[in-house]
Formats: sequence, C-alpha cells, structure tokens
Amino acid sequence: MKAKNILFKLFVIFVLLLTGCSDEPTIDNSTMLDGDQIFDASIYNPENYLVSVAIDNPTTIQKNTPVIIATHGYSATTFEWDEFRNYSDMNANILISQVLLGGHGRTYEEFKNSTWKDWQTPIMNEYNALRDKGYTNINFAGSSTACALMLDLIKTNKIGDNGLKHIFLIDPIVIPSDKSLTLIGLIGPMLGYFESTNTTTEDSYYYRFKPQETLKELLNLTNKVRKDLQNGFNLPQNTQMKVYKSTNDDVADAVSAVLLYKGLKNNDGSKINIQMIDSKLHVVTRLDGRDNITQEDIDIQKQVFDDMLMIIAQ
Amino acid sequence: MKKKKNDLQKKLVFTLFFLASFLCIEAQTSESKKDWVKDLKIGVRMQKAQKLYWENGLAIDFTSPKIANNRIHLGFSYVTTRLGSAMGTNAIKQDNFLFNLGYYFRHQKKLQPFIRANTGYFYADYESDIFDDLSNTAVLLSIDTGVSYEFNTPITINLSAGYNLNTGTGVSGPGTLYPLFYQLSVFYTLFKKS
Repeated sequence: MKAKNILFKLFVIFVLLLTGCSDEPTIDNSTMLDGDQIFDASIYNPENYLVSVAIDNPTTIQKNTPVIIATHGYSATTFEWDEFRNYSDMNANILISQVLLGGHGRTYEEFKNSTWKDWQTPIMNEYNALRDKGYTNINFAGSSTACALMLDLIKTNKIGDNGLKHIFLIDPIVIPSDKSLTLIGLIGPMLGYFESTNTTTEDSYYYRFKPQETLKELLNLTNKVRKDLQNGFNLPQNTQMKVYKSTNDDVADAVSAVLLYKGLKNNDGSKINIQMIDSKLHVVTRLDGRDNITQEDIDIQKQVFDDMLMIIAQ
Repeated sequence: MKKKKNDLQKKLVFTLFFLASFLCIEAQTSESKKDWVKDLKIGVRMQKAQKLYWENGLAIDFTSPKIANNRIHLGFSYVTTRLGSAMGTNAIKQDNFLFNLGYYFRHQKKLQPFIRANTGYFYADYESDIFDDLSNTAVLLSIDTGVSYEFNTPITINLSAGYNLNTGTGVSGPGTLYPLFYQLSVFYTLFKKS
C-alpha cells in the first residue's frame, strides 16, 4: 500500500511536470474562507479579540491580571483558540488576546501575497500595545506555525528579558511531517496551490487552498528556526516554556520536539519542559470543526488547558 | 532505553556484516583477486539532504569482470551527521548504513553516467527517554543518479542526486529522513586490474 502511494505520488509529480499546470483554485465564496465573503471575525470586531483594543485605560488590577496572547497556525484563524477562551472564561481569571496572523483570515489573494514576516507582525503589535498599556503579566500561547514565529522573535531578541512570563507551544512545527514540502521550490510553481481536506465547518475558518508561495514562506520560516535551534539559544530571563507535542502528528513531525529539546534552553541553561502526548491530532487543543473526535481527545484537550491555567496561576 | 539498546545492537550487527563482507573480499588470495576484482576503491562521501543536514563518512566501491562485465558497481557507505551537521551543534546525531548497486554507462571511459539503487539502515539518536515512543530507525530505500569521473591519477569523483523512497511521515518513520539528497564522493583506487 505504501509502495503504491509512493508510486502514485511520483506519477502525479511526473504528469504535473509534463503538463506544467498551475490553475487558480475554484473558490466557493459563500462557504470558504478563501473567498471574498467570509473573513475572520476579529477583523470586524477587534475589541472582542484583542485586550489592547478592548480596554482603553486598564486599572491596576487589570494590568496585573495575566494576559495570554493566543496565536493560531498557518492557514488558520482566531477560531483555533476559541475553545481555550471559552474554557478560560469559565475556569480562570485571565485575559486573552486572540491574534490573527498577518495575511490570514482574508481572501486567498491576500494570503498568497503575504510573507512569514507579515504573519509575525500582529503578534509583536499586540505584545507592544500591551506593554505600552502597562500590563505586567504577559504570556504567549501558540499553535503550530505560531510557535515557529515566537521562536524567531526570541532568537532575534525582539522579545527580551522579563517580556513574557510563560510561553506555551502546542504542536510546534520545525520539521514538517509531509516531506514533500522540502521540494516546494521544485514542484510548487507547477502545482500553484495545494488543497486541504477541510470539514465543512473548517472551510469557514481554515484556508482550503494553500498557495505554493505561502508554503515556500512556511518552509523558509521552519528552516530558519531549525538552523537557529541547531546553533542553540536560550529563553529570555524570567520566561518559562512548556511544550505540548502530539506523537502522531501528520502536519508537524514529532521530531520537532526533539530539536526544541536539544536547541532551546531556559535562561539558566537548564532543559525546557516538554510533554509528549499520545495523539493523532495536529493542535490537540482545537477540537471544534473536526470529525470523529474521541473521548480521549476531549480528555487531552482538558488536561492541556488545565495544565496551562495551573502554570499561569502559579 | 531497552528499545534504544536493541537499535544499537542492530546497528552494530549491520555494520559488522558489511565490513566483514568487504574484508572477505580483501582477504582473498591475489590469484582470486585477479579473477574477481577489476577495481576496488575507498573514499570519503559528503551527503546533503535538501533543506536538512550534511552527513559525511566513508564509501567503498567495487567492480568485477564477472559481474556484468564491470558495468555493475557494488558499494557500501556509512555517512553520519556526527561527521557533518551535528559536529559541535544541536543537530540530531544520525547514521546511514547503505549498500548500493549501480549500473555504469560508458564503463571504459573516464566520464561514466550511472544510476544506483541503495538500501540499508537508518538510525537517529534522540538522546532522551522522553522521545522513546518516536520512531528513530528505518530501512533505507533510495535511488540516485549522477556521473563518475576517473582521473589519470588513482582518484575518482562521483556526483549524484538521489531520492529516498521511505521518508518520515510524522505518523511513521524517523522525522529527519528527508526525500531529496545530493552526494559527492572522492575515491582512491586501492586495486585496479589493467
């Protein structure tokens, strides 16, 4: 079966090389995020998503309340952290900023024209806005590509000592599971885009069509982070990290956690905290919109949420 | 830990098997050598995986007039990040033990295009019990093609590009086993039958 798959993939690549097709995708505007009708809700109502916009003049109590900058992954939207927000509203006294990555949550064309540095900009904007308003307990939670973006911010010292208290990485991507991504420079221009297998719900919150240009950006980002980890760097002073990594993840290879463990150290040189999770999901904290969710998946999500909130409360 | 110990044992057995087979060839009498060996070369190999590590090591290449009239090359190589990207860095330490069988065109000329099939064993050392559940070994299966150039001195250079058919998928296989790789090998001819 595996050999057949490999042969089939090679055959598809060969046919596409010959035909050199790179058509634009057929987008259903009424049901897909890719179209020009469905946009991320944070674009219309930023005050419902960003603490810096929601609270004009924070009180001293608010300034000392933990704020989590929760950021989604490649091709996703703020939807990815809705469940955490709902869970936190019921179980903790914290503030959450759900940041929409640059180039995301809009049309396919806007996504196609964005770079990974564009994706990163809103994270820094919200971080700086919170700092300017005097928040003292800022934290970060990222899923998948957001983790790579945060690692770059740390490596380049854009987030320095005492900037963040806790960083939570959910299924960080450093090594992609689909190794054909490493060939995107070769096959990308011929394919034009890659189609995901979204559920009907996911179609409203995740791009169905991934432009090859953005996949190149993703590869450039992950490759940079991999090299940074290879050379090694430390977390800023007074910043703690917890990594949660699914072991059977078909998007972010679990070996990404090994690279993090080897390449990133706490400020004092000690090893960072990594929890490997026996799951087949990519981004174990997002269950809404998926088909075939098991009780085990629900338990894992709750365990991770509780663990994050417990760490924040300490 | 037990799993990693077994992996190491497998790795050692595999290495010994290949080294033994080449030592056997080398240990033959000069008469049988003349019968069987056309060229015996030993050299260094540098390998780069597309968007990943440098893996360097040793390679042996052998041809025989009794095997497809010297057109078929048999070889063994060991390349590792320990002698490449992992030297003094945090790159994963990984080893490739590879047996190859190549068909060389224009085998009597200096410049010989070739195509090779390779198989062997891959091992990655994750260095912590936390990652014991992750796959860190694989059977290697790859093809590569390139050119070989034999100088007037006993030096031969091989350049090739190859494709691993059995890469990691996130669900199975080691994550740092990537599809596309490039190789440069520089051989010294130990024995040559004119």
